[in-house]
Amino acid sequence: MIQLHNVGMSYQAETPALSDINLKIPKGDFVFLTGQSGAGKSTLLKLLYAGLTPTSGQVLIDGVNLSRLSRAQIPLLRRSIGVVFQDYKLLPNRTVLENVAITLEVLGWGKRDIGKKVYHILKSMGLEDKVNSTPLRLSGGEQQRVALARALVNDPKILVADEPTGNLDEENKEQILAIFKEANIRGTTVVVATHDRRVTVNSHRRVIHLEKGRILEASDGQS
Amino acid sequence: MAKAKAAVRPKLAQEGFWGRFGYFFSRALANLRQNVFVSVVTVGTISLALLIAALFLLVYVNLEGMASSWSDKVQITAYFDREPTPLAVAALKGRVKAIPGTAKVVFVTKQEAETRLRSRLKGQESLLEGITSEVLPASLEIRLDRGHREAAQVTRYVASLKQIAGITEVQYGEEWVQRFNTFMNFFRLVGALLGGFLTIAVLFIVSNTIKLTIYARKDELELLGLVGATRLFIKAPFLIEGVLQGAAGAVISLAALGACYFAFLHNAGNFLGVNPAGAGLTFLPAGHLAGILCGGILLGFIGSLTSLRRFINV
Repeated sequence: MIQLHNVGMSYQAETPALSDINLKIPKGDFVFLTGQSGAGKSTLLKLLYAGLTPTSGQVLIDGVNLSRLSRAQIPLLRRSIGVVFQDYKLLPNRTVLENVAITLEVLGWGKRDIGKKVYHILKSMGLEDKVNSTPLRLSGGEQQRVALARALVNDPKILVADEPTGNLDEENKEQILAIFKEANIRGTTVVVATHDRRVTVNSHRRVIHLEKGRILEASDGQS
Repeated sequence: MAKAKAAVRPKLAQEGFWGRFGYFFSRALANLRQNVFVSVVTVGTISLALLIAALFLLVYVNLEGMASSWSDKVQITAYFDREPTPLAVAALKGRVKAIPGTAKVVFVTKQEAETRLRSRLKGQESLLEGITSEVLPASLEIRLDRGHREAAQVTRYVASLKQIAGITEVQYGEEWVQRFNTFMNFFRLVGALLGGFLTIAVLFIVSNTIKLTIYARKDELELLGLVGATRLFIKAPFLIEGVLQGAAGAVISLAALGACYFAFLHNAGNFLGVNPAGAGLTFLPAGHLAGILCGGILLGFIGSLTSLRRFINV
């Protein structure tokens, strides 16, 4: 369960990025965060994986107040949260396998287990023949799938995505959204931020619309 | 935090300190391989910077060695009014040797003094007419060890020498000793200043090169933080990389220094007109070489550590 109570976040004193955000996302939910650029979507996502600390209010994940986490506890939290970005954040000098393996290396997995698990997830995403390619040789859709594989390979409790389809064509958008849905079916709570409201149409998912750092409306995503 | 639930994982292949260290080491090697250009630039910069510092050190050590050898001329002569008996000579020598800083003591009899004088004035024997050994005093010629040739030390030594009964006069070229000491102090001061500037320049160049190479990989640092890597997990491979690059840079700089030294020894005669091999030029002592190697390793480690601090925000 993700809970935000009266959360405010300001980079500069005069212009708050988020104001008075109250939000509950139950375990296993799938939520879209929509809004124009600068509405506060990315800021809200960063608060969820402790990339930022709110200037006011509380962010709780499974009852744990993230503002109270010590520096040493933040990595433990992040191991249970997969994060995906619009620009993929893949390491260009490493192969697809090595990029996905990072998540498991951090957990201390042995090489053999990493190989099996990474191959398995890449195969499920149709990337088994790209295992030894470097990211720059892949299309945008393939790169985003690799980023998703990296985020999902350790079966996180929460998946957070910031404009994951922003750089993709319609076909690739569909593929990526299908992967999100599969992860959600397996029990992962999914929070996707997008400025493209078409993505949410007929999704039958909860949509939270942000404007100027405030929640403007919440709907169930039906057209 | 009520402990964040760790992902279910199989038994780890690399448990314990050495297992983790093995992982970090292999990760560091892989990083070097995957960032060849950046690694070569870093090692090259460290090598060049250390080579310049090592060349300076080599020149300084040889110049200091040469200048110090001039201090061999510092000799103290203690004269006796009356020539002591052979038994007394042994006792006197013992007392002189007991003074700290004494390297060598030679007793010169009146007869030997006359013989020396005559050999020095060969061809001008007329000057020595009427001079017998009785006129010349017996003496002790004393050489000090290298650690006791400073003007103040020599003065203290002479004062101790004058306490010994029977010694009536002591000569040691006071003016030369003082001039020599002034020169050596100036030489060391210039050396320390130049060495200091050079050290600062080396630190600045190397730390900034490492900072740039780490900046080039800041996305990797950010990503590791996002997937839940601890600070140690992020830092350790970078620090090992820094140590390896520093060590490689130091080894290359020492090899280049050796090559420069031997090339100079074998070819300098052609353009200097002096045989440098005969001039007593020496290579850096083992302690200095070890110092440069440790310096390179330390530079790599500290350069990486300070740069990482700036870019890791986990």
